[in-house]
Amino acid sequence: MGEVVGERRTGGLWGRLRLPVGVAIGIATAAVELAFLAVAAAAFSVRVFAPAASRRVAALTGRYGGRLVRMEHRRLTRLLAAADLPAPNAVTTRRQVGYLAARLLPGTLGLLAYAVLGVGVVLAGIVLSAAVRGELTVLDTLSQIAVGAVLLLLNVQAVASIAALDIRLARRLLGPGSRAELTRRVHELTTSRAGVIAAVDAERQRIERDLHDGLQQRLVALGMLLGRARRARDADRTHALLTQAHEDVQRAIEELREVAWRVYPSALDGNDLGEVLAIVARGAAVPVRIRCDLPVRPDRQVETVLYFVACEALTNAAKHAAATLVTVDIGVQDGWIRMRVHDDGVGGAEPTGRGLSGLARRVAALDGRLLVTSPTGGPTTVLAELPCD
Amino acid sequence: MRLVLAEDSTLLREGLTRLLADEDHEVLAAVGTADQLVEAVGRSRPDVVVTDVRMPPTHTDDGLRAALEIRRRWPDTGVLVLSQYVERRYAGRLLADRPEGVGYLLKDRVAQVDDFLDALDRVAAGGTALDPEVVRQVVAGSERQDPFGRLTPRERDVLHEMAQGHTNLAIAQRLHVSQSAVEKHVNAIFDKLDLAHTTGYSRRILAVLRYLGT
Repeated sequence: MGEVVGERRTGGLWGRLRLPVGVAIGIATAAVELAFLAVAAAAFSVRVFAPAASRRVAALTGRYGGRLVRMEHRRLTRLLAAADLPAPNAVTTRRQVGYLAARLLPGTLGLLAYAVLGVGVVLAGIVLSAAVRGELTVLDTLSQIAVGAVLLLLNVQAVASIAALDIRLARRLLGPGSRAELTRRVHELTTSRAGVIAAVDAERQRIERDLHDGLQQRLVALGMLLGRARRARDADRTHALLTQAHEDVQRAIEELREVAWRVYPSALDGNDLGEVLAIVARGAAVPVRIRCDLPVRPDRQVETVLYFVACEALTNAAKHAAATLVTVDIGVQDGWIRMRVHDDGVGGAEPTGRGLSGLARRVAALDGRLLVTSPTGGPTTVLAELPCD
Repeated sequence: MRLVLAEDSTLLREGLTRLLADEDHEVLAAVGTADQLVEAVGRSRPDVVVTDVRMPPTHTDDGLRAALEIRRRWPDTGVLVLSQYVERRYAGRLLADRPEGVGYLLKDRVAQVDDFLDALDRVAAGGTALDPEVVRQVVAGSERQDPFGRLTPRERDVLHEMAQGHTNLAIAQRLHVSQSAVEKHVNAIFDKLDLAHTTGYSRRILAVLRYLGT
C-alpha cells in the first residue's frame, strides 16, 4: 500500500521516510522469498522421484518467481527511487531464482540494521528515563547523547547502503547478461550491414543514372555533331560544327570529373575535411559558413561519411529549401565527432527520403546517429554524430 | 520524310532535330514523354517515329509501349526505337506481329550518323532495321541451337546482315562479294531454316524472329 502513497507524495516527511520504509519492506519480502526458495528447492528435489511433475514444477516456479521479481521491481522503483531498472519480464526463470536468492543478503542485513536500531531505541529510552529521574550527571547525559547520535548516524548510513546494495543487485542480476548483450549487438550489426548494402546499391544506381542520363547522352550528342560535321557540304559549316564539338568535349570532361567526384571525393586524400568542404562550399549555390574544429584528423571512413552528409544537406538546402545561408559546424565532444548542418530555408526535409535514409544507414554502420529536424516552414538541422577514439 | 521524335534528354533531342534538319527531313514534333509522343503522332501523322525506350513517366519501358501502341493504331507509321541496352525481349515484342517498318537500335548508334540515317531510311521504306549488336547476339546465341548450327560461317555473316534488314545488293557491297553469291547463301539459309516455302520479304526476318520468340 505504501507504494501507491509513494507515487503521490514525493517531498516532505514521506520523501525522507521512503528509503527506510523501502528497506523495512525489503526485510519482509526477503522472508517471503526465503519461503518461496525453500518450497521451490523441496519441489525440485521431489521432481527427481516424479519426473512427470517436473515441467509443472518449473512452470510454477517461473510464475511465482516472476511475481516476486515484479514485486521487488515495484518496491525498488517506487520506494528506493531506482531509475532505469531493467524490465522484470525479460529474465529467465533461472536468473530470477538466482536474484531472489541473492536478495536474502540485503534482507538479512536490513533485519540486522533494524534490530540494532531497536536495541539503540531501548537503550536511548533507558538513558532518557535515568536522565529525567536525575540519576545522570550533565556530563554523562551529554556523552550518552553524543554516542547515541553517532550510532544512529551509522545506522542510517547502514540502511542507505543496504538500499544501494539492493538496487545494485537488481541491476546486475536482472539486467541483460553478456549473452543477451551479444545477441543484441549481433542483431544491430546484421541490421546495419543490410542497411549498408542497400545504401551502396542506391548509390550505384545513382551513379548509373549520372553516367547514362548525363555523360552518355552528351557523348552521343557529340558523336552526332561530329557526324554532321563530316556530312556537311561546305567548309564554313564544317568549321562551325567542329568548334561546337570542341566546346562539348570540354563540357563532357567537366561532367565526367563531377561524376567521379560524386563517387568519391579524391580531395580527401590530401586535404582534411574542413578544406574539402570549403572547396565544396565555393561551388555551392548558397552561401556556406564552415567551422571545423577537429584537434585530431579522424579516420578516413568517418571523414568520408561526414563529407557525404554535408554534401547531401547542402544540395537539399540549395535545391529544395530556398535557403540563404547554410552553416556547417564540426567539433569533438565526449568522444563523439558532431557535425551540425543548419540552413535557414523552408524546411520539410523528409528523413525517410532516399538520400537521407541512405546516409543514415551509412552513419549507423559506423555506430553513429543521424538526426534530421526539419519542420515545415523551416529551419532544417541535420546532426550527424560518430564515435571517435 | 516527316518525323516525330521522342527523347527525354534535351541535349539529344536537340541534337537529333538538328541532324535530321541537316538531312532535309521535316521534324513535326520533338517531345520528352511517352504520352506526348502518342498524342503528337495522332495529331500530325508522321511517316516515321523515333523514340527512346526509357522515358518519363516511369523511366522504364514507356517509350517502347508507346511505340507498340502507335504500331497498333497507325499501322503504316514506321517506328524506330532507340534503346540504352540490348534487350532481346524489346526487339521480340516490336517484331512480333509484323516485321515491316520497324527498327530497334542501340542508342549509341545514333552517333554513327551514316548507319543511323541508313536505318531510318529502311524503316521509312517499310523495311526492318535491327541493331548489329542485337543480331550479333542472335547469331552468336543461335550457334547452340539446331537448325542454326548447320549454317556455315559465311552463311552466318549473310544472316547477320540480312537480319539487320539489308537488301541483297547492300549485303553484297558490305561483304565485298557478288550479288549472286549473296542470293546463293540466302537460299541456303532459307533451306536450312525450313523457310524455303514461305513467301514474301518477311521470311528474311522470320529467321531472327524464330530466335527472339524463344
